[in-house]
Amino acid sequence: MNDHTAHERTKRSYTRKEVIRGAVGAGATLGLAPLIAACGGGSSSSAGSATAGSTITIGSFSDPAMVPFRDIYLKKFTAETGIKTKWHETNYNAWYQNSKTDGLQKTGAYDIYVMDDNWVPEYAAGGAIQSMDKLGLKVNPNILQKGLEQGYWPPKSGPRLKAFANDTPQLYALVIIDDVEILYYNKDYFSSAPKTWDDIMTVAKDKSNPPSLYGWTARGVSGNPIMQTYLPLLNSYGGNFANDDWSPGFAGPEGVGALERLFEFIPYMPSGVAAFDTSQETAVMLQGHCTAMTEYTGTAHVVDDPTQSKVPGKIDFAATPSQVKSGPAIGTFICGIASAAPNTAGAVKFLEWFTSDKVQHEFASGGSVAVTGPALRDPALAAKYRWLPACADAVDNSIPKPRTPDEPKMEELLGTELNKALVEAIAQKSGYQQIAQTHLTNAANQITAYLKQQGTY
Amino acid sequence: MSGRWSRVGFYLLLAAVLFVALFPFWWMLDTSLKQPIDIFGGATLYPHHPTWDNYSRLFNTYHFAAYLENSIIIVIFSVTVSLVLGTLAAFSLTRFNLRFGLNNSALVVALVVRMIPGILLVIPLYIMLAQWGLLNTRLGLILIYTGLNTSFVIWMMQSFLAEIPRDIEEAAMVDGDSRLTALWRVVLPLAAPGLAATAIFTVIATYNDFLIALSLTSTTDAQTVPVGVSTLIGKIQIEYGPMAAAGVIGALPILIFALLVQRHFVRGLTLGAVK
Amino acid sequence: MTQVSAPTKRARARRGRIPGGPYLLLLPAAVAMAGVSIYPLFYGVRASITHYLYGREFGRNGLTNYRNVFHDQFFWEAMRTTAEYVICAVTIETLLGLGLALLVSREFRFGGPIRVGLILPMTIAPVVVGVMWRLLYDSGIGVTDTIWGWFGAAPPNVLAHNTSAFIAVVVVDVWEWTPLIFLILLAGLQSLPQEPLEAARVDGAGRVRLFFDHTLPMLTPVLLVAITLRTIDAIGTFDQIYVLTQGGPGTSTRLISIYAYNTAFLDSQYGQAAAMLLSLLAMVTILMVAAVRMLRKSAA
Repeated sequence: MNDHTAHERTKRSYTRKEVIRGAVGAGATLGLAPLIAACGGGSSSSAGSATAGSTITIGSFSDPAMVPFRDIYLKKFTAETGIKTKWHETNYNAWYQNSKTDGLQKTGAYDIYVMDDNWVPEYAAGGAIQSMDKLGLKVNPNILQKGLEQGYWPPKSGPRLKAFANDTPQLYALVIIDDVEILYYNKDYFSSAPKTWDDIMTVAKDKSNPPSLYGWTARGVSGNPIMQTYLPLLNSYGGNFANDDWSPGFAGPEGVGALERLFEFIPYMPSGVAAFDTSQETAVMLQGHCTAMTEYTGTAHVVDDPTQSKVPGKIDFAATPSQVKSGPAIGTFICGIASAAPNTAGAVKFLEWFTSDKVQHEFASGGSVAVTGPALRDPALAAKYRWLPACADAVDNSIPKPRTPDEPKMEELLGTELNKALVEAIAQKSGYQQIAQTHLTNAANQITAYLKQQGTY
Repeated sequence: MSGRWSRVGFYLLLAAVLFVALFPFWWMLDTSLKQPIDIFGGATLYPHHPTWDNYSRLFNTYHFAAYLENSIIIVIFSVTVSLVLGTLAAFSLTRFNLRFGLNNSALVVALVVRMIPGILLVIPLYIMLAQWGLLNTRLGLILIYTGLNTSFVIWMMQSFLAEIPRDIEEAAMVDGDSRLTALWRVVLPLAAPGLAATAIFTVIATYNDFLIALSLTSTTDAQTVPVGVSTLIGKIQIEYGPMAAAGVIGALPILIFALLVQRHFVRGLTLGAVK
Repeated sequence: MTQVSAPTKRARARRGRIPGGPYLLLLPAAVAMAGVSIYPLFYGVRASITHYLYGREFGRNGLTNYRNVFHDQFFWEAMRTTAEYVICAVTIETLLGLGLALLVSREFRFGGPIRVGLILPMTIAPVVVGVMWRLLYDSGIGVTDTIWGWFGAAPPNVLAHNTSAFIAVVVVDVWEWTPLIFLILLAGLQSLPQEPLEAARVDGAGRVRLFFDHTLPMLTPVLLVAITLRTIDAIGTFDQIYVLTQGGPGTSTRLISIYAYNTAFLDSQYGQAAAMLLSLLAMVTILMVAAVRMLRKSAA
């Protein structure tokens, strides 16, 4: 493989040019480096301007629910106020990482982060977002309370971290879309709106006929997805993700019972359910192959869309089934203002504008799940979009997830064990209680160990 | 020994190997030119309704031009600087007898820096850049890639320069050149092919890097093409068409460059293990 | 130095020597390399003894991070998964690469087009390799559905089940890197002295004996270099896994690089991630030392 270059005495010119360019480049880069480094980083937040001509930068993760926000409302805001908007979107994990880095390191690349609600404690405690109360943001009193409370740190109710035990709750993030779990059911198979898990089970046993018709479907992917399947069950059986003293509340009889109930649906669920996420679960329902499912309201607006649904008009909405009570989880799309945001005034103005009654009403007119009571309960809109009032009720009855920066990690730990348990239960087809107890106990131990390691409890 | 059948079998085997190696490229190109109906309608070997739609969406909705721009700038600067630094160092290592056994140990250091798996560097680099305020900047990436590439350049150019006999530059120096002008006027032109090969390898390695770029950037201000490709992989839905188009853009420049240096490949990748 | 004839030339020649010149030429490069190796090492060690909470530093905590890592079942699980991945992938790549090299070495004139075709998988960004294979694997759009259909089986979701996902990522690694082993071994084979082999063939040695008794021993140094380099690289595999499975489903493809990355950038546990990686570095160093020794020996 030796190349004998000794005899090739050609092509001097391009080599020389390259070296010249390099030398200049090297000198330029190395010489300017300290200068640029000095100017480049560590920008602190400035007031910016809420006047026409300034710009706000908004970043988000990709989600169908954010489509109207991105395509319609950003432009409306610019048209009404003259403040320009820049939008940057990427996938969920990448956005979680990027926004957190930007906030923690104060690189100031964004003004507003669109976040998942369980990021709020982490970002607020770590200083990645700033207090909106201090910025003087005026909150619309019509925003449904439970959705609004997602944005407070420390939380207004529920257990707190030791370090924040005596702090006054301040608003760190403002909810823009109420995303809450709700029961989707196909009217053809239910004589009346199902209320309990037994109601669902009865219909599943009677009417389902796999593989053409399933009695239940779920998101089974490990981590956050399967957690969303499990939470309405857990809450309805009276269990808690975390008790008031932060000990896990799912490894006792309530939690085990809830998981067993999910396993009992296995004969009536699609066989690949352990690998399902939102799109697969929704597809089964919208193709008319399933009688009922719990899901977030983000996908509600496609149920009547003939290009996506084979059962337009047939799917109705109700509270998530109860055992001792109904306990939907709430997960909002929520906006925080970056700690090093270049234009805080513009950001505040945008958020106040978007959550105003007028804009929220328009938002709901497109079928999106607004955050204000009047928009969601407007009779005219409810006639057109039957999920809106159901969402409002679900929000009012929702059970928040534990408000701690470690919540995503807790979901990951429990979600991994849940997925393992589901896979085992599907394979074994029996011994459900044993499987449920083992895996829930494992998860409880892992979470306890992790929280102990964090040392803030 | 080999009859006609074993010969035919041999050709078939080679063809099969080439097919396996090249089919995924074709599939990606194919998908990038398909409309959603074709993509989801079952595997087809060529697009039934070809379209440039995916590419235009890539540049309009997904800001791909920004990623390309970042990649090009970062590659040009870091490769150029590392070529200069590395070649000068390699020249010194091959032409002089340095004290402290530097001739050997410097090469070892270069080798070690080149071999460290990226994941081991990324977290310390993140903390470092954060402290200097260079996160999410092109300059930060340029500096890091320059350092990493320099070691590679030293190793490669050392072997190329060692092949050039000393008499040539000694002759030039007798005629009045200094060491450096001899290097410039006489040695470098001879080493030009090696320099070109090294340059292209460095370009490929820098353009392709993902982990470092992913960890140290957060917006289109500094993100490179590989990071851009990864942003298209959504959690709820994936737009396969634009994703394939992004892959094609990520691969095309490299394919062209690779074909230019394919003669030097083994030496570059194994750091000259096989002489 | 040679004698120069005229005084002016002597002066010019002496002017060309910069005091300490050779070391000056090394200096910028040394600084650049130190910047990406020594400095990060220093920062990494410091981070590994620091307590990070929710992304912020809260002072030094001695060896607590290391202790946590040592007791972390997921760390050991990731190490185990990585070991399995590396062993499977490198073994298959070596066997395939060797077989191919032996096959092709007898027909040198095909070296050209084969080489050109086979370098392509190696040179493409691993991220793009991941994308390519994602397009092949994903159900609904990939070829796996079609292929399984030929065997009359239900369409799999290759990346959604534990075992099949692991096999799938190993396949991708094999596809991507077998060409490297192949090219190295081919070059090695072509550089072997032919006389001993000819002599043995004349003596009547069969092909198998020829290989094991003569070719293989001579090829061993090159083989070892190839395997060691590939192993070190494989331990750090990240890009393709990130694109294909992100470590999932569950934890079945969660290699140590993914786990460390998640710990640092998703959990914001920089200190613990640094401790994890320094521990990994200690283990990889043994391999790296061996590789350096072998390369220096062959380059001598």
